Amino acid sequence: MLSCKELVAHSSDYLDSQLNLRMRLAVRTHLAMCRNCRRFIRQMRLSQLVLRRLPQGQNAELDALAQRLAELRRQSS
Amino acid sequence: MDYPDDSALLTRLLAGEQKAFRELVGTYQSAMRAVAFAIVGSRNADEVVQDAWLAVVRNLDSFQGRSSLKTWLLTITANTAKTRLKHNRREVLLDDLPGPHGSVGDERFAADGHWLLAPHAWHQDTPEALLTEGELRECLEKTLASLSELQGSVLLLRERQGLELDEICNLLQVSLSNVRVLLHRARLKVFATLEHFEETGQC
Repeated sequence: MLSCKELVAHSSDYLDSQLNLRMRLAVRTHLAMCRNCRRFIRQMRLSQLVLRRLPQGQNAELDALAQRLAELRRQSS
Repeated sequence: MDYPDDSALLTRLLAGEQKAFRELVGTYQSAMRAVAFAIVGSRNADEVVQDAWLAVVRNLDSFQGRSSLKTWLLTITANTAKTRLKHNRREVLLDDLPGPHGSVGDERFAADGHWLLAPHAWHQDTPEALLTEGELRECLEKTLASLSELQGSVLLLRERQGLELDEICNLLQVSLSNVRVLLHRARLKVFATLEHFEETGQC
């Protein structure tokens, strides 16, 4: 059976659906029985969502860039 | 056009509407920076992105809509970056810079592979709740900044921009197995930062 350490090593591939059927089943079987690893995977997914929601700032810079590009476009057409 | 979401925006871009360009740069600038970063490094990335935007505006009339706008923009960025490099690209750097809060390393496991230090429950279980802590946001920025250029770019393109792994491989000309390794190590560092923050309340 897959150990917890191996599960962690394959966790990204699991989240990205990069595992073959046999490994995917092994991961699912392990998760069904192991609370710690279920928590780990849940927290990995949460980390992914946190990154997605992390605000990005730099608005003024983007305003200026958009203005320049729009002008450039109007000049060229 | 196969990408209906793009076609309305494209019409407005062709008309030179500033708000349309603002939408475009707001949506894609950080993905373009990530691509440029990964290929030419931080020193030249901003210039490459600037050049890429100019190329985008120059070629807007010839955009056929055979790919999504996103793919088109990122391909132009990758090509601009590769032209800048001219010679063979840098070696793919798989070496792993240490993250500020480490990773999920061997020390967390017993000899038989079971958890020795299993993850604890976190206080918050939604991204919104976690991100209300301003200090955590700064802390994550630090961790992201600690990643190598290529690793940070791969993480950003995957998690924030939602690119498929094979798109990332094509854009950055990195093998799938390398992308998987880079991504996994980056995610574990982000995990370690969140875990550290949840356990100690500080960065």
